[in-house]
Amino acid sequence: MKKAKTFAMMFGLFALSLLVMIPSSGWAQKEYTITFDQVEKQKAFFDDPRPLFKNLTMKQILPPDVYAKMTYDVGAMKQAWSELVGFKAPDIVGKIAPEIKPGKYTYQDKEKYPGLKQLMIPLHYDTFFKPGGPPHAGNFPEIEIIPTRQYYYALPVAEATKKHMAKVRMNDQGYLIPETYEAGFPFPRPEGKFKAQQIMSNWDKRYLTWENTLWFQHLMGANKNLTIDFDSLANSYALRLQGRTMMTPYGWFDERARKLGETRTFNFVNLAPRDQYGNVVNVVSYADLDKVDQMMVYVNVLRRVRKLTGTDTQDQAVGQDIIFDDYEGFNRKFSPKRYVWKFELIDEREFLTPAYEQDGSAYYARKGLEMRDIKFERRPKYVVKITQTDPNYVYSYSILYIDKETFIYDHIQNYDQKGRLYRTVDSTWSDIPEMGMHTLFQGSLRDHLDMHSNITWNMSFPATWINREHVNLQSMIKGVK
Amino acid sequence: MRKGRKRILMFVVGLAMVLMVSSAMAKEIILLERPLNLLGYATQGGAFGIHNEYDTEAGLQSALMNVFIEGDYKIMDRLKFYGAGMLTVDWAYQIKANDSSWHEKGFPKSNGRFNVDYKDWQTIKEAHLTWTPGDFMVRAGKQIVVWGETDGFRLMDQINPLDQRRGFADVEFESTIIPIWLMRLNYSPKLNSDWLLDLGFEFTFNPNAEFIPNQDILPGNDMGGVWAPNVMIPGPFPMGEAHLGSLISNIDQPNLWSHEGFEYAFRIKANVLNTLITLNYFYGLDNSPVTKNVLRFPIFSIASDGKLIIHPFVEGKYPLFRFVGGTFSRDITPLKASFLGGVSPVIRFEGLYAFKSTFASNINTFFKSDELRWAVGLDWKVKIPVLNARSYFTVSPQFYHRAITDYPSYGLSSVEKNNYMATLLVKTAYLNAKLAPTFFWLRDITNQANFFKVEMLYDYTSNWRFTLGTLFLDGNRTGKGFEVFDNKDQVYFKITYRWG
Repeated sequence: MKKAKTFAMMFGLFALSLLVMIPSSGWAQKEYTITFDQVEKQKAFFDDPRPLFKNLTMKQILPPDVYAKMTYDVGAMKQAWSELVGFKAPDIVGKIAPEIKPGKYTYQDKEKYPGLKQLMIPLHYDTFFKPGGPPHAGNFPEIEIIPTRQYYYALPVAEATKKHMAKVRMNDQGYLIPETYEAGFPFPRPEGKFKAQQIMSNWDKRYLTWENTLWFQHLMGANKNLTIDFDSLANSYALRLQGRTMMTPYGWFDERARKLGETRTFNFVNLAPRDQYGNVVNVVSYADLDKVDQMMVYVNVLRRVRKLTGTDTQDQAVGQDIIFDDYEGFNRKFSPKRYVWKFELIDEREFLTPAYEQDGSAYYARKGLEMRDIKFERRPKYVVKITQTDPNYVYSYSILYIDKETFIYDHIQNYDQKGRLYRTVDSTWSDIPEMGMHTLFQGSLRDHLDMHSNITWNMSFPATWINREHVNLQSMIKGVK
Repeated sequence: MRKGRKRILMFVVGLAMVLMVSSAMAKEIILLERPLNLLGYATQGGAFGIHNEYDTEAGLQSALMNVFIEGDYKIMDRLKFYGAGMLTVDWAYQIKANDSSWHEKGFPKSNGRFNVDYKDWQTIKEAHLTWTPGDFMVRAGKQIVVWGETDGFRLMDQINPLDQRRGFADVEFESTIIPIWLMRLNYSPKLNSDWLLDLGFEFTFNPNAEFIPNQDILPGNDMGGVWAPNVMIPGPFPMGEAHLGSLISNIDQPNLWSHEGFEYAFRIKANVLNTLITLNYFYGLDNSPVTKNVLRFPIFSIASDGKLIIHPFVEGKYPLFRFVGGTFSRDITPLKASFLGGVSPVIRFEGLYAFKSTFASNINTFFKSDELRWAVGLDWKVKIPVLNARSYFTVSPQFYHRAITDYPSYGLSSVEKNNYMATLLVKTAYLNAKLAPTFFWLRDITNQANFFKVEMLYDYTSNWRFTLGTLFLDGNRTGKGFEVFDNKDQVYFKITYRWG
């Protein structure tokens, strides 16, 4: 005890001297945040139908000046976005199975309403739209169909898209030429020979969450008997480094990002389960099609930062039914040299898919790990098939259902090299009307070969205070140990 | 001992309280409106010896239990506390209390060193405050500072001492490395360079608030327990050769808070064009002592096999250890090959040059010489679809060289002029990454000795883990390398429950 006291005194003196030495600028900005406890007090992981986004609003989370800056006129956003994409979703749906009207439907209604089969994604209809039960989590026995909404993006995203879209070019193989992209969505109206690649380029340049984002995730894993076998908490400090439109600095984040063509970076900080407590993964991505991501990891048990190779993207994340290439659902780099993909637009029509949650009332039931109070809506979709030309890649092909209005996927199917359905990704997005932003809210990940699944809740908010300091080498050791 | 028992009781009460507030689900606790994370694990293992010799025990020889609690609390936005405590008990001393073979070999006498880890440096693991004002990080308290890039053996990683009393058995990281009282200051200036991507300066000071040296494997069953090396001293003695027993040591230690025990460690860490580079300087004491025999008649006792046990008197000190060094690691993208899974290898290099290190010589003197240590390793993930269609195999070979620059003609007792080692780690994962087999081989090239470890780990859930493994050790040079652990081959298991 005496040792500790003496040491504490020495530390106090040391800290005081540092206070004098260290200039106060640069770290004065208030790091407003939330906690897992705050979220789970408003909505428990299981059996809690309370509307999370009504009880924990962005207005509550953000300082007033930040909230004011990140909100825009809804009418203006709607107008700008519909002009860019050329339609409003409610105007172009309702043609398939028009007898299916808004209202509640259960899996028992399948026979009564054959139109549901026409409208739903086949895999959803066959394997998800039923009561919860083994072997996978995330079934939905009942859905509520709501009228189709118009979705849109924040005004600065729309303005940047409008300003820069004419300059974007593709090469003769359909790859976006990095130097021609500035900001916004590169192809708001995909068309022509490389339409499928344009759709995927929109995903690649996605404005999913803000340019400085703090993301919280609670993920659970279940085996084929639906016994919970994995339970993790993590958060991610993310910076968009290119094409910034909503937060200063605009354009490139800094000179380094511009010179190196860095597009984004994040620190993924693990807080649970215990074995991963304190592990931090740092990733930097590049615009250059042939430049692989840079990755480092702080390994808690080694107390070391280890260099990883950015080519190590196909091994399963511990306890999770995804690989790094499935981060955010789809994180594959389209390169003309490495793991080359062939792109096809195999369908373009309306589907009945999960609506973007505005109130956050959808929830997981502990019994059967099923989804409840989930809303669906008719959405215009692209169905893109990408086929891998290298037989050494983990997937042979993938099918993505991508929203025509937001360029965000809802459902992804990944097939192994034997052509068997291997993994699926299903995401329910949030919609924050006054901000024109969509973030990941809930998701289910399924491994159809090992019969395992994950379900998650996610909460993100714009964190203007995130800086390079939060995603650099030193930030990784600042964690917990 | 009474103080030790009181501490254990407090630990158990603390654990019960933690378990009461812990949820089966991962959950953050809020204390005074600030987040508190509490996590931990409890393990119960068992090691079963394969040989029945004087220095080991066939059947159960260790039943190690660890209870570990850790947590962090965000006191302020930029000030965080992290603490960890551990209780370690080897129940073998209770289970084998009436075992005649156990008694005859003298293992119960090692009870005080192995049965219950009750000393404060054993129970209070880490306890530190981290303050992160802007580009600075200050961490003060009991902590671990790890240097280097090698796995499985330590080269530059000399700041914290190691607890290796329990040998090469399946012990937890938290019970292997010993946190000590340190002050650490990191400074990472803002950069805007397209080649120097990150830069950090790190200074660590050890004020020697509590002197904890390496806890090495010691000779003599009464001190080293079942991991005591089997060192034979050539005769003529009755029954031929004699066993080396426990040492009667007189080792000089620096006074607490004295400059003799101060240690200074400085590191520059940089990310240069996506290559991690460090430059290191260390000035301090070696964590292990150098010893020489005292010219005094040893103490003799009789071993269970009838041979003499010789307990020599030794004296020694913790010598100065000063070095400069560096590390380097980067991925070699051009080496990726699609047919191997398309993952490029990561190369790791680490080297140091130490000035006037002190060694014990073969003529019972201390000898000083500069030395060079370096190691290179590779981490390469490869696909072998025939063996595992869904996950990669991680293959990590390493090579290590230690050279004594002014090696004396009469030799040094623990090292040769050139010392070489190599390791190979291979691991993969099956069943949704729940089943993870690992193979580790350490080849002591100089001493023609081997250490093999094959382990299977099954994560039933993120709470429950089951481990099954085996160790094999052998050597060809008598009294050198792993030859002295030739009888320690064992099979072990462990059940782990993790929470938080």
